[in-house]
Amino acid sequence: MKIIEIANLDKTCYQETLKNGLEVYMITYEDKKNYFISYATKYGSDILSFEVDGKLYTPPLGIAHYLEHKLFEEESGEDPFTFFSRSGTDANASTSYDNTQYICLGTKNFKENLKYLLTFVNHPFFTDKNVEKEKGIISEEIKMYQDIPDYKLEMTLRENIYHNSSRKYDIAGTIKEIKKITKEDLYKCYESFYIPSNMFILITGNFKIEEALEIIKETLEEKEGKLLPKIMIPKEPKEVVKKEETIYENIEVPKIGYAIKVPKSSLNKKGVERDLYLNMITTILFGSSSEFQERMRQKKILNDYDMQWEEEHSYKTFYFFATTTSPEELIHEIDYEWEHLALSKANIDRMKKVWIANEGKMIDHIEKTQANFFDDIIEYQKIIENRVPLIRKITKKGLEEFLEKIDLSNRSILKMLKKEEKE
Amino acid sequence: MKSTRKDLGSYNLQVIETKKFRTLTMRIDFHSPIQKNEITKRNILSDILLQSTKEYPTKRDMIIASENLYAADIYNHTQRVGNYIMTSFILQVLDDKYTEKGNFEKAIEFLGKILFDPDVEENSFKEEKLSIVKKNCSVALSSIKEDAGEYAFIRLKEAYGKESPISYRMMGYKEDLEEITGKNLYEYYKKMLDQDFVDIYMVGDISIDKALSILKKQMKFRKVKKKKVPYEVEQKPLRKKKLIAREKIENTQSKLAIACPIKKAKDYEKNYPLVLANIILGGGVDSKLFRDVREKKSLCYSIYSSYSKLDQMFFIASGIDRENYDKTVEEITKIIENMQKGKMTEKEIKVAKEFYQTSLTNIEENPMSLIREYLTQALTGLEPYEERASKMNKVTKQQIVRAIKKVKMDTIYLLEGEKNEDN
Repeated sequence: MKIIEIANLDKTCYQETLKNGLEVYMITYEDKKNYFISYATKYGSDILSFEVDGKLYTPPLGIAHYLEHKLFEEESGEDPFTFFSRSGTDANASTSYDNTQYICLGTKNFKENLKYLLTFVNHPFFTDKNVEKEKGIISEEIKMYQDIPDYKLEMTLRENIYHNSSRKYDIAGTIKEIKKITKEDLYKCYESFYIPSNMFILITGNFKIEEALEIIKETLEEKEGKLLPKIMIPKEPKEVVKKEETIYENIEVPKIGYAIKVPKSSLNKKGVERDLYLNMITTILFGSSSEFQERMRQKKILNDYDMQWEEEHSYKTFYFFATTTSPEELIHEIDYEWEHLALSKANIDRMKKVWIANEGKMIDHIEKTQANFFDDIIEYQKIIENRVPLIRKITKKGLEEFLEKIDLSNRSILKMLKKEEKE
Repeated sequence: MKSTRKDLGSYNLQVIETKKFRTLTMRIDFHSPIQKNEITKRNILSDILLQSTKEYPTKRDMIIASENLYAADIYNHTQRVGNYIMTSFILQVLDDKYTEKGNFEKAIEFLGKILFDPDVEENSFKEEKLSIVKKNCSVALSSIKEDAGEYAFIRLKEAYGKESPISYRMMGYKEDLEEITGKNLYEYYKKMLDQDFVDIYMVGDISIDKALSILKKQMKFRKVKKKKVPYEVEQKPLRKKKLIAREKIENTQSKLAIACPIKKAKDYEKNYPLVLANIILGGGVDSKLFRDVREKKSLCYSIYSSYSKLDQMFFIASGIDRENYDKTVEEITKIIENMQKGKMTEKEIKVAKEFYQTSLTNIEENPMSLIREYLTQALTGLEPYEERASKMNKVTKQQIVRAIKKVKMDTIYLLEGEKNEDN
């Protein structure tokens, strides 16, 4: 067993790899009463096509998410929720671009719940009837999202950025596509990606390492280790699809989406360091204590915003979404900020202090700790144990060198205006 | 964990001393009987106080100051609590052990300045700052329909009874927004400080004596107040016939919202059997609504019920296809009627009790849930959670049936999606 000390946070992660390739990460808290278990596969809506028996296979869009819903079907007829409920345990699942996870959050019955979670995910039971039944439920789920203007804004922007990447599609697929899904499709995807070497377990909270490992081994060790199938990754051109577009929706206040598609090859750092640098730059430029925000407040044109960096196969894409009464002016201001990139040492040092303090707050919460290390495993294939030292190491000079090479030329800008303005 | 409550005349202080968290959390609650036409002003006031102080003339200066205090989080929140409006100012910061000596007290001093030393001149808030917060508020009010689920709830409550505080829009009202000036806002600020009931909570590694000595220096509440209005909302007479209200929206999904007032329940019923009845009806993924309406009938993706003791009300919400409106309402009605006839198993009751016990265990895992717990105890005379655990386990099926018989479906609201897009 590997013992990973998480630097500066007084926490330890225990890591074990089973013979079949499955990885287990455990972080214990003796002073808490609850625990959080994730059993996850690195399979999400990113995988559009792969080889089965030497032939290329392209399942309907949204299949990873559909599969997540259907794993809750049991041959015995007992719903997993019913099992977890008996001990007052919350269970759930979620699908994203690069993973699907099954979770349970409880305060007792740790051993039984862990065993059950692993067992039900390992035993698919798909029938024509139970697959059909889900179509109504997932259609309503898709509609629920489609009605949200912010969601529509993001999806349209994604289509304008990516030509072929899986990131241009909704994780849940479309109603038309999911209607095509059969139990055979589900089994094919399940057999290919729910395999030990592509999966992991992360547990945080109050539990005993030895007990957890024993259950995991007895439940999963006999599961056969297989190789991942050959996955087709569509080639994604450097340029965005559309540099700008205006759409009209049933909204009262306009919105904008602003994206920059940055080739990873134009960045002089990799992995977590690269991501810390990218986030540092955009936090200083556009974060809550930036000069940009203050200027927008004085002008009263930025009413709500959200920004993030996305990790795509070959690109890092920056997204900035906002609700604004002056879309043109706001876009101009964002452009201006990128063109006049100014990073002062004082701002960098203050943000470093903030980030380090936030790490300390994060580790206090089981849910936040779980989410943080889960993302690490997905993005970096390991727990990042030295995030605080890495933050300390960020310098103005390092950031400037990083910026010198960065290719910021591929931008896509989307305006969403009120329908009545179309005429 | 040691909890002490002290009535200090001008405010109540509750200190929950525990070494469980790396953070110290402090919350100041201002309560006053709710007036519909003051809601908007209250929102604007709490926002403007966080825009600037005399020492920090811009919001950016404010944020930088809190960042320098090792990322102290300072934010506010206004909600209706029964017949009252309650504005909370929350401070959360790492314990001095993880930052530097005196940091916590400096953070409280900063919050004190926000509350007692606002950026005003000649007894008026500055128009320039006021226009910033008014603009944000106005944009939020214009975008009210973007969250269709929330909008359906707002409209449901208005249909239920305009005269009841339950129906007040906590986002505020456009017509009231226009009336706000720097001068009348300052008068309102004075009124809030002088006349509101104030509670202060502190959670973390801090003793009551230490808390008192800091607060004496930093918080200058002077007036002594007594509460007159009860917190629990008085119920209006039941409707003879159910009211069904509809409104159209340009969405694909329809939102269903139902109000079920509770008639003449005893305090014991409100605190125990009704809590279980709600969990059994629609409290989670193992509830009757989820099982029957979603899993068996595939009518929706999301469906749940919630229970508000102070409003004496059950609410039910779901996202459906408009063609399924009749079927869904029929199904929900049947489920409630069956429960009233005693159709629930001992197993369901046991599960509901388990979920309740889990929620009690989790209270101690989060500073904000500890504060919420002590607030509820103080407002409604609820027994301490240690006692509730055993009391809840003794609730019988008969008691639950008797209690749910008092729940009457009164108002149904359908926000009807007009778009039909099966893409």
